[in-house]
Amino acid sequence: MRHRWVRVRRRPGGRRAGGRLLATYVPTVLLVITIVFLLPRAMPGDPLAALQDPASGAFVDDAQTRANLRAYYGLDRSLAAQYVNYLGSLAKGDLGWSIARQEPVTALIGKHLPWTLLLVGVSLTLASGLSFVAGMAAAWRRGRRGDRTIVTALTALNAVPEYALAVTLLILFGLVMPVLPLYGARTTFGEYGSWLAEVGDVAAHLVLPAAALTISLIGAKFLLVRNTVVSTLGQDYMVLARAKGLPERMLKYRHAGRNALLPFLTLVGIQTGFAVSGAVFVESVFAYPGMGSLILSAVETRDYPVLEASFLVLAAVVLTVNFALESIYARVDPRVGRA
Amino acid sequence: MSAVPGAVAVIRRRSGDRAARAMGAPQIVLGAGFVVLALLAGALAPYDPGAAAGEPLEAPSLAHLLGTNSVGQDLISQLLLGTRTSLFVAAFAGVGTILLGATVGLLAGWRGGLVDRVLMRVVDVVLVIPKLPLLIAVAAYAGARLWAIALIIAVTMWAPSARVLRSQVLSLRSRAHLRAAVGFGAGTSHVLRRHVVPELAPLLASGLVAACGHAIAIEAGLAFLGLGDPSRASWGATMRDALDFPGLAYTTAWTWWLLPPVAAICLVLLGLTFLGIRIERWTSPRLARHPGGASS
Repeated sequence: MRHRWVRVRRRPGGRRAGGRLLATYVPTVLLVITIVFLLPRAMPGDPLAALQDPASGAFVDDAQTRANLRAYYGLDRSLAAQYVNYLGSLAKGDLGWSIARQEPVTALIGKHLPWTLLLVGVSLTLASGLSFVAGMAAAWRRGRRGDRTIVTALTALNAVPEYALAVTLLILFGLVMPVLPLYGARTTFGEYGSWLAEVGDVAAHLVLPAAALTISLIGAKFLLVRNTVVSTLGQDYMVLARAKGLPERMLKYRHAGRNALLPFLTLVGIQTGFAVSGAVFVESVFAYPGMGSLILSAVETRDYPVLEASFLVLAAVVLTVNFALESIYARVDPRVGRA
Repeated sequence: MSAVPGAVAVIRRRSGDRAARAMGAPQIVLGAGFVVLALLAGALAPYDPGAAAGEPLEAPSLAHLLGTNSVGQDLISQLLLGTRTSLFVAAFAGVGTILLGATVGLLAGWRGGLVDRVLMRVVDVVLVIPKLPLLIAVAAYAGARLWAIALIIAVTMWAPSARVLRSQVLSLRSRAHLRAAVGFGAGTSHVLRRHVVPELAPLLASGLVAACGHAIAIEAGLAFLGLGDPSRASWGATMRDALDFPGLAYTTAWTWWLLPPVAAICLVLLGLTFLGIRIERWTSPRLARHPGGASS
């Protein structure tokens, strides 16, 4: 069957698409960094306010010491100089110092980020696969009872926020029928006989958080696939393909499905952002030790450097995924580069 | 025929319509009830939601209809006043989101050219930044004041509606009556106010409903993460208190402590979602429903 598919070479316009991509992502990255840089500096007071205030317990009596401290933290320099300095330390991977935990923020994030990536990766993959197949199936049976039921159900699920879903799952599987682990990412102080047992334990702890996140991501994608496929069904090429007597599977996945792929990929990109946000909520419900739990504890202790760095790192993850997805559009749909 | 009906069936009816219509009716009652409850919450709530009004973990009784939490705060009062917080956020953040989104979208779509390119680049940039981590970082600094939270929500959430509205304005721009208006010398603001906005009213209305829903979900979410306004009751804060209570799983307290705020927020958001769909189908079957709109 290969001969049916003449591969279209990428057009030279692909380079222009690359230029447009950079024109979006470079300013975005700079904006994110600038927000993080300006947030603490735009707020009233300054980080050493307590040292300057004679009424506070931390007041430093010696004016020379106060000036030295300001110089040490670079606060006596101009905003531009501070910004350059900040960019330099970012480039070195230095995200600051956690006030509450007295640890480099980079180390904290290194401990928490992998769990979030695992949770988001598993949920996005599951949600994408399920919603694509279900969307195709529903479009193929559009208007019938099964289609209407699933459209209503998923529209409803799409409206419910992640934390409400997660709490509902927690109630169902933790309080009503306690069958699954509710807390953390692995059994506390667990000893594993083999690596298989360890994987099994991590997987069991992943079930509820991943289920909550998957369910919250499935609705939008399902509706998109279903509607795109429905709109292709009446197209001439579909009628022709059917008239040629192509098997049903070919019609479904090669013709209708392929057309739904591009908007679907766009949505997967957009949803990476939602998935990361959702993971923050879901983790805070199940005490999953990812970025969500880190953020939750940082909020409690008002650990600003951790909150800023979390935003920076999560934004970097989302931007990277989006950039990668947009770069492969041209391969999925040769029309993109030409537009 | 096979499982795929012919092209005729596709033209005849976009499916899902009937399902949406069947889901429509109770929304209005629910919405009205929500607004009335929120406005009367101060009078209806029997206790101060922040004060210890009874013994810790009292089961529901006549004195405390939804019982009390671990520090003896009355839970029905928290639930009722949480309604008011949600309505406040829906009103200010929801309206703010649409105002910002509509201003940017209409200007970009109508003026085109450089204005369009610049504004849409801004939209692209805002769209890809993950919202929740940004909201958390900003809310942590801006302080937990409800109006500040509403403002932050509006400033971070406007981009998707700007994009949708812009594309609709683009399709309106070439219509004869709009070209005629311009021919008679109508300026940008006149055309937008007198012609474009009325034309897009259904889309603006359903966009507003969606924005209100997102605002409610985000406010409760921030409160759930501990970033809410501590001086006001919020469903999210009640949920967080319940989850933080170590003995929650050992008693039945969760049935009156954790369950009601979860149910309340689900009910309101479901109501708003189906209300939005209903408004769209109702007023204007012509405007295509935009799939995959933003959430949280």
